[in-house]
Amino acid sequence: MTDHISKKKFMEELRRYQKGSVTRRHFLGVTGLGAATAVLGSTMPGLRATTAMASDIGDRVVLATWPNYHDEANFDMFTDKTGAFLQVNVFGSNEEMLAKLQAGGSGWDVYVPTNYTITTYVEEDLIEPLDLSKLPNYDPAAFDPRFSDAGIVDGVVYAVPKNWGTTGMAINMSHNGGKPFTSWKEFFDRTMDDFSGRTMVHDYQLTTIGAALNYHGYSFNSVDEAELADAEKLLIDVKPHLFAITSDYQPAMRSGDAWLTICWTGDGKQLSTDIPEIAYALGKEGGELWSDYYAIPKGAPHMEAAYALINFMLDPEVNAREVLAHGYPVADSRTNELLPEEVLNDPILYPAAELLNALEFGAAATLTDPNRAELLARFKSA
Amino acid sequence: MTQRLRNWLLVAPAAAWLIVMLVLPLSVVFVFSFGERAPSGGYVPAFTFEQYANLPARFTAFKNTLILAPLGTIMALLIAYPLAYQLAVRTSQRWKTLLLVLVIVPFWTSILIRSYAWIFLLGGGGIPALLASLGIEDVRLIYTPFAVLVGIVYGYLPLMVFPIYVSLERLDKRLLEASADLGAHPATTFLTVTLPMSISGIATGCMLVFILLMGEFLIPALLGGGKVFFVGNALVDLFLQSRNWAFGSAVAMMLIIIMLVTVTLYMRLISRLNVQRDDAQLM
Amino acid sequence: MRLYAFCVYVFLYTPIAIIALFSFSAGRSASQLEGFSVKWYGRAVNNPFVMDALGNSIFVAFVSATLASILGTLMAVGLQGIRGPVRAFFDALIYIAVMIPGIVIGIATLIALVTVFDVVNPWVASFWADAAAAPKLSMGMGSLIAAHTMFTLALVVIIVRARLSSLEAALSEASADLYATPFGTFRQITLPLIAPAILAGFLLSFTFSFDDFIIAFFVAGSETTLPIYIFSSIRRGITPEVNAIGTMVMVASLILLIIAQLILRGGAKPKR
Repeated sequence: MTDHISKKKFMEELRRYQKGSVTRRHFLGVTGLGAATAVLGSTMPGLRATTAMASDIGDRVVLATWPNYHDEANFDMFTDKTGAFLQVNVFGSNEEMLAKLQAGGSGWDVYVPTNYTITTYVEEDLIEPLDLSKLPNYDPAAFDPRFSDAGIVDGVVYAVPKNWGTTGMAINMSHNGGKPFTSWKEFFDRTMDDFSGRTMVHDYQLTTIGAALNYHGYSFNSVDEAELADAEKLLIDVKPHLFAITSDYQPAMRSGDAWLTICWTGDGKQLSTDIPEIAYALGKEGGELWSDYYAIPKGAPHMEAAYALINFMLDPEVNAREVLAHGYPVADSRTNELLPEEVLNDPILYPAAELLNALEFGAAATLTDPNRAELLARFKSA
Repeated sequence: MTQRLRNWLLVAPAAAWLIVMLVLPLSVVFVFSFGERAPSGGYVPAFTFEQYANLPARFTAFKNTLILAPLGTIMALLIAYPLAYQLAVRTSQRWKTLLLVLVIVPFWTSILIRSYAWIFLLGGGGIPALLASLGIEDVRLIYTPFAVLVGIVYGYLPLMVFPIYVSLERLDKRLLEASADLGAHPATTFLTVTLPMSISGIATGCMLVFILLMGEFLIPALLGGGKVFFVGNALVDLFLQSRNWAFGSAVAMMLIIIMLVTVTLYMRLISRLNVQRDDAQLM
Repeated sequence: MRLYAFCVYVFLYTPIAIIALFSFSAGRSASQLEGFSVKWYGRAVNNPFVMDALGNSIFVAFVSATLASILGTLMAVGLQGIRGPVRAFFDALIYIAVMIPGIVIGIATLIALVTVFDVVNPWVASFWADAAAAPKLSMGMGSLIAAHTMFTLALVVIIVRARLSSLEAALSEASADLYATPFGTFRQITLPLIAPAILAGFLLSFTFSFDDFIIAFFVAGSETTLPIYIFSSIRRGITPEVNAIGTMVMVASLILLIIAQLILRGGAKPKR
C-alpha cells in the first residue's frame, strides 16, 4: 500500500485536522493511520468498527444500482454496523444513470456503472478517482483483470469490480416442450409466432438493439447505419407481439404473465432457482459479456459513507453473500474461495466456453451514439 | 402613492416570479428546439429546423395522447356525472359531506402507489384470475391501452366529480320540482334543466382532466409496460435516456402548441354554449 | 342510481383496500400476503429517508403554498385595477402557467436552470480566491419551491380573482366614499371577503405541491420528496413499507380533514 506521505504533508494534514477543516476519517485516510487502524481492527476483533467510531460517516448513504442486484440482509448489516441507512435507487439502463449525472445534482454516493461506460464518465468529469487507502478490502491482485481492467482509466482507479455477467434470455420452458431456446433467431421468430404477447425486451438500447443485431448476425455493438436499420425493422415488427418493454422483468416472469425475456445472468439464476421451468440461455449468435463496478460520482454528498459502503461490499464474506443472493459470478478469487462448489460450477454463471467466446463486451461508442439512442426511443414510441 | 403605482407594486413580485420561472424556461425550450444534440448528449447551440423536421418520428406518441386523453376525459365524465348527480340532487344533507369526502380520500395516497395497486389488480393474478374462475379464460389486461385508460380514469375521477357536483349543488331544486309539476318527463327535465345548468361544471372538470392527461407520463409508464407511449413518455425518454435536449425541446414546443390550440378552441366553444344558455334564460 | 354510486365507490376503494391490506403483510413481497404484522409501519417511521422525504415534502408544500397565496393574492388584487395590454399579457401568462403540462414545466425549468447555473457559477467563482470554495447554485430545494410556487401562484390568482370579480365593486367604492384609505378598504372590506378564496387557494396549492411527482422528478436535484422516494422504492420492487407510507398519509389527511370540519362547525355557524 502507498501510505507513505512526507513528513511535511503529514504535519499539514495534522494542522488541518486540528483546525477542524477535515474530518477525522479524512485525516486518518490521508496519513495512512486509517489503514493502520483498520489492520489493527481486523486483527483484534474487539477493536472492530463500533458504531461510535463509525458514526462519523454520517447516518446515510445513497446507492444507485440495478434491479434485484443485492442481498438486502447485507444492507441491514451495513446499517447496523455503521449507523448509516441506505437509500437504494434502481435504474434500468446506463443511459438513465448518465443522464441523471449529466443534469447535475444526482445526490448519489455510490453508483454501479457497467464496464463500457466508465471512459465516458471520466471524459465528462462525472466520476471521482478512488482513494484506495479508504478501500482496504480492495486487493487488485485478487481480481481477474478481464473483469477489473475497465475500472482503471489511464492508470487511475475510478471503479472497483462488483460482479460480471452475461446477457442472454430467460424462457419458461413449459411453453416450449420443456426445452430452452438457443438463439436470438428463435427468440424473435417465436415471439412473432406462438410466444406473441408473452415476450419482454429491456428498456435499454445496448441489450435490446444488440439482440436484434445478433438476430441478423451482426455485431452486438454495431453502429453501422444499414445494420441498425435492419435491427430497427425487426424491433418494430416485433413490437405488437411484446408483453412489455422493461428492464425489471422478474415480476412478470414469476407471475406467469410473460414467458420469455431478455435477461441478465443473475436474474436468470434467481428465476430458475425459484421456478425450475424457467431456464437461462445464451443466444448462439452472441450477446453481451459485461462487468459492473462500484464507483463514486463527482460531488457525492456523503463521501466517507460512500467509501465505507464500497469497502464493506468488497469484504469477501459480504460479497459471497451477495453472490448467493444475486446469482452473478464475481471476479474476486477471495470471494470464490468462500463459495460452495455448485455455484462455481453453475452453467448459468459460468457458461460453456464456446458460448462465452461468441459474446462481446459492450463498446463505449454505443453509449453515446445518437443513432442507437434515437432508434430505441423510436421503437418505444412506435 | 397613485393608484396606478400601487397596482403595479402589487403585481410586481408575482410578475417577476412568473417571468423567471415560466417565461425564461419556455424561452430556453424555444431556443433549444432549434439546436442540436451534443456528441455525448445534451445541447449545442445551432440554428436548424432539423428537430422539427424529425417530429414525425414521434407521431405515434402524439397520436396515442390525442386519442387516449380525450377518451379518458370522456370516460371520466361519463362515470363521474351520475355520481355527482346522485350526490348533489338525490342525497340527503346528512350523508352528502361524508360521501363527497369519500370521493377525495383515495386522492390522498400517492398516484404512484395507487397505480401500483392496479398493476396487481390487472396483472395475471388479479382480475384475469377472477375471470378465469368464472370460465372466461386468457384475458390479458395489464400493459395494454385498456389498462392505461383504467389508470387515468381512476386517477382523475375526483377532479371530474367535484366541479360537476358544485354546479349541480348550486342548481335550484325548485326548478326540477316545477318541471315535474308541469308534467315534464324526467328525461326532458334532465336535458332541458339539469344538463344545461351543469355545463360550467362539466366544462371545468373536462378541462382539468384533459390538461393533466395531455402531459401524463406516470400512468402509461406503470400500466402500459413501456408500450403505450404518451408524449410525456417520449419527453422523459428524450431527456432521461437518449439525452437529446434539442429534439426534446422541439417535442415539448409541439405539445405546448397543441395544448394552446385545443384548449383555446375548447374555451371558445364553452363560452358560446354559455352565451346560448344565457339567451335561453332571458326568453 | 344507488347501486351505481356503490359500484363507483367499489372502483375507487378496491386499490386502496389492496394497499392497506398489503401494508400489514409480514413478508417482503408486496404481491403475496405472508402473515399479519405492523413491522413495516415501524420500519417506515424509523427510516430516516422516509422521514426526511416527508419533512421535505411538507416543507416545500408549506413554503410554496404560503408564497403562492401571498403573491397570488397581491397579483389578483393588483390586476383588478390594471387594463389594456399589460393586463392581457399577465392574463395570458396565468393561462399558460395553468395550461402547460407539468412535465413540460419540469423539463423546461431543469434545462433553463442548468444552463443559467453553468454561466453563473464560474462567474461567481471568478471573484473567489479559492474557486473551489465559491458558493455554487445547484438544483435542489430552492429550485423545487420556485417551480411549485410558479404554478400554484397562478392557481391562487385564478381562484382569488373569481371571488373578487363576484364582489360588488360598489362595496369598495362605498367604503372609499366614506374616506377610508385604500389600504383600510382592503384590510377591512376586501380581505375578509376574499379570505375563503385565499384559504382554498392555499389548500389546493399545498395539496398539489405535496403530491407532485413529475415537476419534482426533474427539478429537485438531489433532494428527495415523498413521491420521489416512493417512485424509487417502487422501481426497486415495492415492499409493504411503501404501502404503509401510503396508508399513513391517507389516514393522517383524513384526520386533519375531520379536525378541520369540527373546527369550522364549532366556529362560524352558517352565515347565509
